[in-house]
Amino acid sequence: MNGWAGKVLDIDLTTRAVKTYPLDEELAKQFLGGRGLGARLLWDLVGPEVEALSPQNVLIFTGGPLTATGYQTSNRFSVTTKSPLTGTVLDANSGGFWGMQFKKAGYDVLIVRGKSETPVSIEIINDKISFHDAAHLWGKRVMETTTALGQNNNKRNVLCIGPAGENLSRIAAIMNDGQRSLARGGPGAVMGSKNLKAIVVEGKTRPGIEDPERFKFMLYETRKLLRASPLTSQALPEFGTVVMMNIVNSVGALPTRNHQQSQFEGAEAISGETLTEKYLVKNESCWACPIGCTRVSKTDKVNGEGPEFETTWAFGAQCGIDDLAAIIEANSICNDLGMDTISAGSTIACAMEMSERGYVDSDLRFGRADLLAATLEDMGYRRGLGAELSEGSLRFAGKHGHPELSMSVKGMEMPAYDPRGMQGQGLLYATSNRGGCHMRGNMLGLEVLGLPKLIDRFQVQGKSSYVILHQNASAAIDSLVICKFTNMGVAEEYFARTLTAVTGIPYANGDLIRVGERAYNMERLYNVREGFSRKDDTLPQRLLTEPVPEGPSKGWVSKLEPMLKEYYRARGWDENGTPKKAKLAELGLAELATG
Amino acid sequence: MIDERIYEQFKQIGRDLYTAGMISSHGGNISMRVGDRVVIKRRGAQLGALQPHDLIETGIDKNDSGVTMASTELLAHRMIYLKTPALSIVHCHPRTAIAFSLSRDEIVPIDNEASYLLKKVPVIYEEFASGTPEMANNLASALQSYKIVMLRGHGSFATGQTLDEAFHWSSTLEESCQIALYAKLINEPFIEYRKNQEGYNKW
Repeated sequence: MNGWAGKVLDIDLTTRAVKTYPLDEELAKQFLGGRGLGARLLWDLVGPEVEALSPQNVLIFTGGPLTATGYQTSNRFSVTTKSPLTGTVLDANSGGFWGMQFKKAGYDVLIVRGKSETPVSIEIINDKISFHDAAHLWGKRVMETTTALGQNNNKRNVLCIGPAGENLSRIAAIMNDGQRSLARGGPGAVMGSKNLKAIVVEGKTRPGIEDPERFKFMLYETRKLLRASPLTSQALPEFGTVVMMNIVNSVGALPTRNHQQSQFEGAEAISGETLTEKYLVKNESCWACPIGCTRVSKTDKVNGEGPEFETTWAFGAQCGIDDLAAIIEANSICNDLGMDTISAGSTIACAMEMSERGYVDSDLRFGRADLLAATLEDMGYRRGLGAELSEGSLRFAGKHGHPELSMSVKGMEMPAYDPRGMQGQGLLYATSNRGGCHMRGNMLGLEVLGLPKLIDRFQVQGKSSYVILHQNASAAIDSLVICKFTNMGVAEEYFARTLTAVTGIPYANGDLIRVGERAYNMERLYNVREGFSRKDDTLPQRLLTEPVPEGPSKGWVSKLEPMLKEYYRARGWDENGTPKKAKLAELGLAELATG
Repeated sequence: MIDERIYEQFKQIGRDLYTAGMISSHGGNISMRVGDRVVIKRRGAQLGALQPHDLIETGIDKNDSGVTMASTELLAHRMIYLKTPALSIVHCHPRTAIAFSLSRDEIVPIDNEASYLLKKVPVIYEEFASGTPEMANNLASALQSYKIVMLRGHGSFATGQTLDEAFHWSSTLEESCQIALYAKLINEPFIEYRKNQEGYNKW
């Protein structure tokens, strides 16, 4: 079966047992890879009785059928686990080089179970698997670890955790290739709980292509479209993802000061334009990516990758900070500690509001850029107030009696789009299977950018249809696995045709979206089994009851309730948000139905 | 109650279809998926002059009283929503494209815009009109892989996330067929200007 390597690598850290076995072909066809396959495997491996930071939790690394084929942005991979931040199913995915290298080593899936007695790293060189003592690396930061293990972009790739993961911060990331991250939901803490410092891969086998001529044509067409779109050929390469700052701010959807406002007076100072003008050294690309959105930025103190839009927003507008140099430095610290920048920034913003209101005794205040670096260091090493903040905003705010000031969904901090100014985005956050996340579908295209066409961002009726389509499409893309920015210039039908060319299995556009729907329902089933329901599909009270005070979204709150009702019906879920048996049967998941 | 924002979209696209000459006075129909409901033009209403009461709402897969007034092509629209990711459908009668559909099984554009956007448009045929289950099924199957499909001698069905996206594909097809017709009338040797153009035939 071309497209898939056809092999699962299964490692038990407790016993150091290593197994390889064939990938189940039916599961592969049903879920493709990446996020969908990860969710399906997690269903069998980790039940509700398992605590996220216990040895019984697993890390499932997955590539997809397009990974390492050379198709544009086919560098990505996923990790799936039970999230220590949210308790939900968690998929985080990342670009760079590691995913490509892992697939070339001959595997679709790596399952890591158990817990090593002492710090360890795993080395995978094709079919040779070895364990190495990592005591000398434990405590070291990400860049130092990555360098020490011999990172070489096209040959040998390092994935590791930093101090935040070792210290079990619930917002700890897994980092790969130095500064790329599987960031959200705390997968770094799961890796740390296993005493697993790093996984190094080297591979030499490019995956086979069933129909090289068709594949070549799809490469040609995709390149043409990516070059034609100003978004993928000009905006992202020139300004990076931070290009969105001024756009989102201009429509009054940029959450500011812990979502108290939706426009930031300092947006221009932290915009993509300012970043390019003052701090950009160069842009870089992940493997097989013609877009090149990665920034390499330099200040007096740091020189490295980033920051992304969400990061810049989290440490910027959300914290009321317009000092771009401080934001770049905060990003660099997070990368080196191995910590999610969105959750870190929004948690600090929450603490700033709590401090201003007198709920917490600290010096943190909106605009205090001078405290960012020290606060992040304290979070990574669990020192002082940082120890509380490293648990994420919901646990922190809850501990001090004000959980309503955590701008999170299911415990995961929401990114840079205010649901009051983008009604569909609010529904998307509320129903996201991993919590407040913009990568489980994003309404930015439809509600702001006009991709593929502009819709009314304040429209409520009918919004569920768009949200569901984009959630499904997003899950499909995450299962291929490729970068969602490709989708800003190229429609899903191209991905379906490319998948057909690679595998020889006919996938129509509708089939691919159906794969995404299956993945979304699979994740939902997992969460239902964990006890999640309609009560969890909500937004912070602030967004439901406090109207935006000024700007283009003035007077709006999120009208979640009617959208949610429509959403459940359209999904084929019951009023409590559980997939109905008929829907599961339609998706080939009937055997997983309970009750 | 259908939101005024949704009505405005129907009104605009209906008017534009008529003024572009892509429907007769009472021909064609358009619809939108709204959750598990479909909003569709009322039977007999003029697309070019839609009033709020000309929009009918009914279930995607369940009947209710709305079906008594819905367009005769409701079945096809429902089937498309059930079998494809479509959120909007535009069915119209683009004249030049219909003329081409009479003599070929697929329309492969020769102009740059439609080559870029559509690649290829299949032509399908059933003995009975588009209101039948057989035709609805065939249409939906074809629209799993293509954004616009021609019914031989009848008209086009296009899907999109929004009505204007589906309209975009419809008007692109008609423009492309008009260009092909003019090229045929000029009757001079075609100079291939596209790289990898054989890929479009296999799209």
